[in-house]
Amino acid sequence: MPAGGESRAKHLIAVAQSVAQEDVDRLVQSSNIWKTPDAFSVKYAFGQTPEDFSSQRHFSFCIMPPYVGRDWLGSLIRLNCETFVECFPELDLDDLAPLSGKKSRPKQDLMVCLSTRSAYHLPVARKFVTSLRHRGLIGDSIASSVEMAVQEAFANSLVHGNLELNTGGHLSMDRFKELGEETERRLASANHGARAIILTARRRKNGQVVISISDQGQGFTPPDEQATLDITRKDSTFGRGLPLIRSLCQSVSFLRDGRTIELTFDDDQSAKLSPEVAFLSDLEHRLATSTDTGLRNPQNATILIADDTMLSREIIASYLRADGFTNLVFAKDGEDTLAQVKAHNPDLIILDIIMPKLDGYAVCKALRADPAYATTPIIAQTALEENEGRTRIFDDGATDLILKPLNKAELIARTKIHLENRLLVQQLQAYQERTQSELELARDMQENLNPAPEHYRGVGMDYGMRISATFQMSSELGGDMWGLVPIDAHRLGVYIVDFAGHGLGAALNTFRLHSLIWSEQFHDQTPDAYLQVLNRRLKGLLPVGQYATMLYGIIDKQKNVFSYASAACTSPVLGNTVTGDAHYLDGSGVPLGVIRDAKYETREVPFDKDSFLLLYSDALIETTLDHGQFLSEEGLLTMLQDTVTEGGADIDLAAQIADQFMDRAPAKLDDDFTIVSLQSAQIPSALSG
Amino acid sequence: MNYKTEFTNGTTTVEVTGRFTFGDHSSFRKLIEEVRGHEASTLVLNISGVDFIDSAGLGMLLLARDESEKTNTTVVLRGAQGQVKRMLEVARFDTLFRLED
Repeated sequence: MPAGGESRAKHLIAVAQSVAQEDVDRLVQSSNIWKTPDAFSVKYAFGQTPEDFSSQRHFSFCIMPPYVGRDWLGSLIRLNCETFVECFPELDLDDLAPLSGKKSRPKQDLMVCLSTRSAYHLPVARKFVTSLRHRGLIGDSIASSVEMAVQEAFANSLVHGNLELNTGGHLSMDRFKELGEETERRLASANHGARAIILTARRRKNGQVVISISDQGQGFTPPDEQATLDITRKDSTFGRGLPLIRSLCQSVSFLRDGRTIELTFDDDQSAKLSPEVAFLSDLEHRLATSTDTGLRNPQNATILIADDTMLSREIIASYLRADGFTNLVFAKDGEDTLAQVKAHNPDLIILDIIMPKLDGYAVCKALRADPAYATTPIIAQTALEENEGRTRIFDDGATDLILKPLNKAELIARTKIHLENRLLVQQLQAYQERTQSELELARDMQENLNPAPEHYRGVGMDYGMRISATFQMSSELGGDMWGLVPIDAHRLGVYIVDFAGHGLGAALNTFRLHSLIWSEQFHDQTPDAYLQVLNRRLKGLLPVGQYATMLYGIIDKQKNVFSYASAACTSPVLGNTVTGDAHYLDGSGVPLGVIRDAKYETREVPFDKDSFLLLYSDALIETTLDHGQFLSEEGLLTMLQDTVTEGGADIDLAAQIADQFMDRAPAKLDDDFTIVSLQSAQIPSALSG
Repeated sequence: MNYKTEFTNGTTTVEVTGRFTFGDHSSFRKLIEEVRGHEASTLVLNISGVDFIDSAGLGMLLLARDESEKTNTTVVLRGAQGQVKRMLEVARFDTLFRLED
């Protein structure tokens, strides 16, 4: 993504609402470690939590509030942004200037700067690695190793670097207790706790990923003999970190007198862009260079004849002209060939192997290395009889080979075959490009079926509720949808839908159902009656074999009840925002669109000022996580309880559950993922009104 | 890191969940103080619900072992999986603890 490298770049900056404007300005101006162009204009977008920012905008920075919590840490995977900085008053990055001084400083693909006191309590390494996976910088398969190494390096920089604690040797329980108390003291102190810790990651051209972690402590470069220390040593309570790091990555180095540790990880096959994506970017490149020169008729093809003798060039040209190919360009040596290819983007190249400056082998290699010319047909002509040269030219990327002296009929036949192939490939690519852009449009439309954050936040406030939602579409189109239906001042309807399967069919069905939901004017019916009507309508519209699961429920703030009916929806979770206790509600019922006269049941449960409700699609409980299993029913309840007890009632519950799920799920999901939470909340603006 | 303890028939079983890393020293200390009073003959740490452990977490397990030796309590690590299992193997904790599936 182009991130404003030009001098007059426009910057859109995501800012936590609670940060004062002067602090924001100060931070943006001080370009010690991040690159800001000399002249730039800045626009700000504000949000209470990361959920409030649009997923469709690119942000140059994300400015997080002091005492960053799990919610803001989640912005690492939610925001289209590469630089995340906690804005705390003591932030001073002058000592990092040596790192940023180099003009050739490579652009980081991800940078996170946190205070020690925030970072200490957060799963920073995990979120950093999840973010790298989601950005395609590392593959799922090496994520676990990367996380272990980053965790150790991060802990070292934080505990030994910024907090200057010594945990060496064999510790007694008493000593351990002292250390713990000293840790708390130093975290609270302005000196140690306000030091910054910075994590960066960038991907090199060769595919290696370089991760650095910098602290502001005294610096420590371990002597080389420590490299041989054993992870299995028994004489020390702690101190296995470094040998562990060394066993997990390709290389480790220390910079800034040991205040920066740099880890290098080798490329991993699965991290490479998936074929479709690679194909697409190739196509973009191709379209940019050759949109108007699309080949419609082989006779109009541009053919480049590369040969160092003029006589040979003329002979080939005369053969081709005689057969109607008049669009000819010429090159007289290897370098000239590359220049002519760039200038004319030929549809076919007839290439001599023995040429001055660059020979045919080198030309082939150079062209194939450029995605724009990776598929341009190259017919190599050679007088070489020996097999070695013939094999080599194919290895270097030639499409075909023709022997000198040239036979006219053979030259014409081969030229025609390769041009026709190219024509077909181009047509196919154009077709795929069109389909792809239509799919993108459909995805956008489908995403827009779901309420936007500002909408559901506002509706939530009207009802004294905090509403949070996360939706991630599978790689294809999907069949998930959710929505809010305000009924009257006290009653808010909510629905969640999952059509069977995914792809175009499921997507079309969500559009069908969406228009049914919003064209019917009887939302205030009991939920069972409502589902019955929807089912009957939908049955008439859906082809046999297609169906949906759905839940429709009404939260009544006056009667303090949640009443709902379910058509085979995943079991909703009802819980308490104070204790974190939660249990599953009955989600049974006939799916929509299966039988015409399906009957549904309205179930009623208490929903008071301490209640929360969680609705989710089956991707949450049917995705294989990093431990090779699904998230169990019990696992989800434990996760909810831990999240509520750690974060209190004032959190975006669905977002935090989604963040934890994303940490452990593959970067690309097979199915749509939807999660929605509705919590009773003490919202000041609603109370004062 | 979160935990629940249960004491029956001379065995203390602790179910540990979440991540077990350097920042968890205070909850870990509480855990040790809590089980110390049981004077159990066996301390089972059920870590099947732990999804990540770092080297500091390993160190804390060693501390638990040191403490238990004082009261002749055997420490059992039960149900390690995924990354946790990998860490225990790498650090050869099978030579220090009884590991159970």
